[in-house]
Amino acid sequence: MAGAFTAVVLVLAAVVATTGAGIVGARLWRQARRRRQAELAARPRRHLLAFAADHEAQGADALVAIAEPAWRAAEPGALGLLGKLRGDAHRALAAVFVRRGAAARAMAALHARGRVRRARAAQILGDLEHHAAVPDLCGLLTDRHREVRIVAVRALGRIGEPTAAWRLIAALDHADGLPSLLATHALAQLGPEAEITLSAALDHPAARVRAVCLDALGLLGAAGSAHRVARVLRDDPVPEVRVTAAASLGRLGTPAAVDPLVRATDAAEPVALRASAARALGEVGAGAAVPALAVMLGDAQYRVAHEAAHALRRLGPAGQRALRAAREEPADAHATGSTAAMHAREALALAEIATTAARR
Amino acid sequence: MTTVLVADDDADIRELVSFKLEQNGFEVIAVEDGQAALAQAREHRPRLAVLDLSMPGLSGIDVCRMLRADPETADMLVVMLTARVQEQDVEGGFGAGADDYVTKPFSPRELTSRIQALLSRART
Repeated sequence: MAGAFTAVVLVLAAVVATTGAGIVGARLWRQARRRRQAELAARPRRHLLAFAADHEAQGADALVAIAEPAWRAAEPGALGLLGKLRGDAHRALAAVFVRRGAAARAMAALHARGRVRRARAAQILGDLEHHAAVPDLCGLLTDRHREVRIVAVRALGRIGEPTAAWRLIAALDHADGLPSLLATHALAQLGPEAEITLSAALDHPAARVRAVCLDALGLLGAAGSAHRVARVLRDDPVPEVRVTAAASLGRLGTPAAVDPLVRATDAAEPVALRASAARALGEVGAGAAVPALAVMLGDAQYRVAHEAAHALRRLGPAGQRALRAAREEPADAHATGSTAAMHAREALALAEIATTAARR
Repeated sequence: MTTVLVADDDADIRELVSFKLEQNGFEVIAVEDGQAALAQAREHRPRLAVLDLSMPGLSGIDVCRMLRADPETADMLVVMLTARVQEQDVEGGFGAGADDYVTKPFSPRELTSRIQALLSRART
């Protein structure tokens, strides 16, 4: 019995020792491999930094001539560098990656079985700004895995090909659709050529799609669409979309935005819309908005009066004159005068802080 | 030789900016966080600092404010380098006293040109 027990203990000890040795061995091997990879990557990395700084033709040839094992070791870091560059430096480095076959490998990996490989390939093609990949990346917008779809959206935004606009907009309308903010930024990255598509999508039946397109038009500064955005502000059946339209008009900053925004501050409109329109009037920066904003300073709704005060502050001397006038107003029977004065005091104090900070 | 402080927690950006500036004849002090940036700025008094807006600990804006508040470093030129491109971020950078603002992804040549332009304007 004792002999059997000893044998079991010995076997268990042997298993533990073997496992421990295996773990230590694997760790040592991994460390040695990491060191080897880092050593291999060091020389290409110096070349890469020099090339990213200068992008001379000889530098490109030197990078293409680097032996495959050293390039493989340096490639992950180099791809990271690619995402941080723009302009000539980016174009030159991307051309090196294309010459080394990175784009072709990534194009093939877009159809890999593993979602991580597909997502990684999409990211590489986005970082390379590889226009030929746009149709395949658009295909990934309906991938069954959300993370792959998200990376595809980012990649399409980075590539900035305006023909992708419709596919991005269509992907927003799916169940488990794309995050709105991500889609907004990707659509804005497509540039002014996407304006027509975004403007047309303001008639889309889905409220979320309309809201995203309004935001993207605002980020693009698509002043040519101001009238269509104003129409959404006036007529859209969904209050949240009208609020977004007001914010978008503010970003467009065109004088044509003033009248529709002033109308949206009417007391009969929802509070969120009136507050958003007041804020947008400040962003438009038109002096014509001062009288309407000055009236709103005494609004019974705190948010509306608060936004009106800060919009006047942003409007500069004309707005600040109106704030100073409101500050001196005596309180009337309904205390609207004192409400206006309170909001005016707060906005003027903030303006003073900003002026003092700027002088420093 | 003009000394430039480069503070960015991203090693790629730090090395690339340092490489490009050294190549253009600047002496570079590179650090990876806001605290180190402040310490090096006070010790070496570089003529210009390139600060990443989002760094662990002290942000670029915090460092810029502290440099401006200290009479010894108040006239140091500051360029903010950041991935944040919202208007309020840019306003925040300039509000803290930055002299210029470069957004990531960035062009090393453009950054160097802006630094040279700032330095030559400061000399005149």
